[in-house]
Amino acid sequence: MKTILQLIKKDYILFWHDKPAVSLTFVVPIFLIFLFGSIFSGVSSGPTGIDIAFMNNSDSKIAKKLESVLDTTQAFHLVREFRDDNGNMVSFDTNSIKDFVRKGNAVAALVIPKDAFTDTSMGLKLKFFYDPKNDMEMQMIEGVLTQRVMTQMPSLFMTGMQHKAETYLGTDKGKNFNKKIAETVGKYFNVDTAKILHWSSYDFADSSNIDSASSKSNFFSDLLQLDKEQLVGKEVNNPNATRSVGGWAMMFLLFTLTATSTSLFDENKSGVVLRILSAPVSRVHILWGKYLYNFSLGCIQLLVMFFVGYLLFRIDIFSHFFNLLLVIIAGALACTAFGMLLAAVSKTSAQANGLGTLLILTMSGIGGAWFPTFILPPFIQILSKFSLVYWAMEGFMNVLWRGSNTLEILPNVGVLIGIAAVVNIFSIIRFKKGNLF
Amino acid sequence: MISIKNVTKKFPTVTALDNISLDIKEKEFFGLLGPNGAGKSTLMNLIIGYLDADEGELTVAGEKVTRNNLESRKKIGLVPQSIALYDDISAQENLEIFGSFFGIKKNLLRAVIAENLNRVELYDRRKDKVKGFSGGMKRRLNIAASLLHDPEILLCDEPTVGVDPQSRNAIFDYLEKLNEEGKTIIYTTHYMEEAERLCSRIAIIDHGKIIGAGSLDELLLLLPYEQTILISKNQLTEHKKDLFGKFGTILNDQEKYELKPFEKLKLSDFFKAMEENGIGYNFIDVNKPSLEALFLHLTGRRLRD
Repeated sequence: MKTILQLIKKDYILFWHDKPAVSLTFVVPIFLIFLFGSIFSGVSSGPTGIDIAFMNNSDSKIAKKLESVLDTTQAFHLVREFRDDNGNMVSFDTNSIKDFVRKGNAVAALVIPKDAFTDTSMGLKLKFFYDPKNDMEMQMIEGVLTQRVMTQMPSLFMTGMQHKAETYLGTDKGKNFNKKIAETVGKYFNVDTAKILHWSSYDFADSSNIDSASSKSNFFSDLLQLDKEQLVGKEVNNPNATRSVGGWAMMFLLFTLTATSTSLFDENKSGVVLRILSAPVSRVHILWGKYLYNFSLGCIQLLVMFFVGYLLFRIDIFSHFFNLLLVIIAGALACTAFGMLLAAVSKTSAQANGLGTLLILTMSGIGGAWFPTFILPPFIQILSKFSLVYWAMEGFMNVLWRGSNTLEILPNVGVLIGIAAVVNIFSIIRFKKGNLF
Repeated sequence: MISIKNVTKKFPTVTALDNISLDIKEKEFFGLLGPNGAGKSTLMNLIIGYLDADEGELTVAGEKVTRNNLESRKKIGLVPQSIALYDDISAQENLEIFGSFFGIKKNLLRAVIAENLNRVELYDRRKDKVKGFSGGMKRRLNIAASLLHDPEILLCDEPTVGVDPQSRNAIFDYLEKLNEEGKTIIYTTHYMEEAERLCSRIAIIDHGKIIGAGSLDELLLLLPYEQTILISKNQLTEHKKDLFGKFGTILNDQEKYELKPFEKLKLSDFFKAMEENGIGYNFIDVNKPSLEALFLHLTGRRLRD
């Protein structure tokens, strides 16, 4: 055991003097965790502050209402004026607003035309001007706009339907029709008929009856009561950053352990392995020394990454620290086995590193290190279960997201240790047959 | 001290050692001379237990050598052919790492390292990274790293490859001193000059077989002649190769023309012919034959072919 400890100490001394290796092990992943953690921690609240040139040509109160809704929408920043050639701030007209987008000053322009909401219209007419290169942003803007109108102004469409009925049937017949409809809907859907009639009595000449943006007593709200309740992760401070920390930490751990395992090739080539073996040291000592060094370095790297996650994103690693430690140990064992496997099946350091890069990126991609696996095609979701990254990520998410207890994370830990055991047996057979040293 | 009995080592495509037997005595400076690929390094690797022999038996100080017997390795220090050091750490740290594998206690190891660094004149550079060292300094440190556990036997596998003449001489002096202090040294080389200078006994190895073994004088007795004529190689003599060939067989024309005289050659006839061709006595030397000549005689090839 003393010999193995000396070999481990030797590797730590070499590691510490190899500044690029230290940087790749700790500094680079910390930077990427910070970067992607920051990016993804903002995803749940959607985009913010997208510049949109805006012009409202309608006198309708509905249009004004829409304008105020958009004004309070975090995703958008409405630009209503531009600086002309003389340096004066000027309101847009149809031409200048198009120019504004053409010149790339805004992603798109949104115009509420004069006839945005007329007696004959069922809904709202809006006009978009956009640059095709901003297609993705356009789709995002459309999505946010639709969502805002549907959630904040549902009365708009109800009003449209009622008004249409009155236009076709005449005011009296139309009101009667709306009343009958209200009674029928009220009876079968158990909704207060008076509330429905509130819409029927809507007068287009006076739009003051339009529902307020935050009203919860409107017809649609009663018909579709969508009670949302988050079942897991309520107490997780920064759920998306949690995934980023785990994912990037796992990926860089695999890179680190591949590099340290394949250093055996370089040590062999330089004659150092021969020198070590000329001392009372056996090949088994060297393999164990390398394995335990990689394993300990792996545990340290993962712990440091999660601690950085705690410092940067307040990821709660201490409430379930023991369980987190179990997953870290199992993950480090599996990753170490992976690194040793690469050294066992490759003939040169370059071969091992090339193969390692391919496998690490693939495993990280399909294993959920970069993004959740549910967005992947079904057959890749099946494949991902053969990746150690998947089981490690599931383990981390179970502990940090779901707050699983020790018993609940045992399947994850078990699979990771199982992977390590199988891969190690295969590697030992390869080392015995091969001629690495 | 080291006994090698009927040892054979085969690799998938080549028989590296073919039924070799050798006995190396205590405190001997033993040379293994042979061209590249002759089997010298394989024999070294068998002696330290890096490889197992397919047939035969090796013992070091009575201890059987195998890959699994770690005890015999404590008696041996290996100076590998390559510079087996870590470039990115200091000389001191390198020695601390390699010394730690022999179980030397920390305080003692520190003293031993200081002593060895002093002996190879690197103590002042002990804190410098090895990658900043010259080739000669690295070679010296390569030797120092093999001596930390004070081995009885030092195996030097071509320890002067790529070293300038000055550093080479310093290494020779150091090894001679170690031998005088009582260390048994086995030295492999394909430079006959090194073997001639350093080794009290030499084994010539080729294609995995020992083709001659003994002291230099004993080996040269294997030649059917006792003298060779050496002619300096210069502008004057360079175009006279055909002339030299009339008096004997040219054994070597690398640095000097080495001539094995024909059996009934009278030296007076030779010197007269040389004088007539403007080649003065100062360009000519009559000497004992070299190991190169012996190797050529035994194998039909030159050492460096």
